[in-house]
Amino acid sequence: ETNKPIEPAQPTAGMQALKSARFLQVRNEMAIYPEGIKSPNPALNQGGKSKGRQYDKDFLLQFQEIFKEKPAVDWDAKLKETVGDSSDSARPQSAR
Amino acid sequence: TGDSASAGASSVDDAPVTVFHDPENFNVKHPLMNAWTLWFTKPPSGKGDNWNELLKEVISFDSVEEFWGIYNNITPTSELALKSDYHLFKKGVRPEWEDLQNKHGGKWAYQFKEKKAINIDALWLHVMLAAIGETLEDENDGEVMGVVVNVRKGFYRIGLWTRTVGKPLPGGGDGNNAGGKGRSIEQGKDVLMKIGKRFKESLGLKENETVEFSGHTDSAHAGSTRAKAKFTA
Repeated sequence: ETNKPIEPAQPTAGMQALKSARFLQVRNEMAIYPEGIKSPNPALNQGGKSKGRQYDKDFLLQFQEIFKEKPAVDWDAKLKETVGDSSDSARPQSAR
Repeated sequence: TGDSASAGASSVDDAPVTVFHDPENFNVKHPLMNAWTLWFTKPPSGKGDNWNELLKEVISFDSVEEFWGIYNNITPTSELALKSDYHLFKKGVRPEWEDLQNKHGGKWAYQFKEKKAINIDALWLHVMLAAIGETLEDENDGEVMGVVVNVRKGFYRIGLWTRTVGKPLPGGGDGNNAGGKGRSIEQGKDVLMKIGKRFKESLGLKENETVEFSGHTDSAHAGSTRAKAKFTA
């Protein structure tokens, strides 16, 4: 037990919910939101093929303060590899 | 009758529980019409690094919830170093002129020269939301490839890349689609103009502030001189 490496971080409940959630059928499942939450603008989703997958800005902005889960447990490391720290991007890279 | 907002044990498996009801135990998410990939361009180190090493694929996603998880956990544009870019493109399209799906296309763009006078984070967010929410174009337009923000010394620039410059493409088919022969030059221009107006709207620009459209190849051949804008809106 003692010489075991550190346990990998466990995904949070929110991360797991996101992974296992099914896709909502937006057009058939309107009016499911709690009071105070606006549905997507129905005018956007009356067309034939859009499958109810058009969303107006006001609808989308409602999620901003609600869902803040990192995309994965290793997100910080991944971010460092791609976007980097803003402090470190300006620094010259080490010679190869 | 009780709190229908909580995911009660009695609820049927299939009853939709959204993230608004329960951010930890929701069972439905909002699908996007397209899957999108976020890319990042690192500022050059000044040691002759090549573009391929600087352009990094960050993550792909296909739901509204995933988008916000990413947005809420990534460096805001306002904190990026000079010469950085974020690109949000449809999955499968590299954010480069050379990509087969971009090489006949162009872009709408606007430069914000008063960097301190604007909230670049809000502007970039609103453009991304218009892209993933699919409100920049109509269903069969087929033009929008992605959106981009450039962080530069004297300005921020936000762009919207389109598949065509309003003309039929080699192998574009006969239909009324982007690049199809069934879409006349006139119609092709109208589609691009409409997209330009919606882009301008999403940026909250005033009437007298104009967004400019130019073809990628025009820009490429223009060298140091600025490419001539083909359309303005």
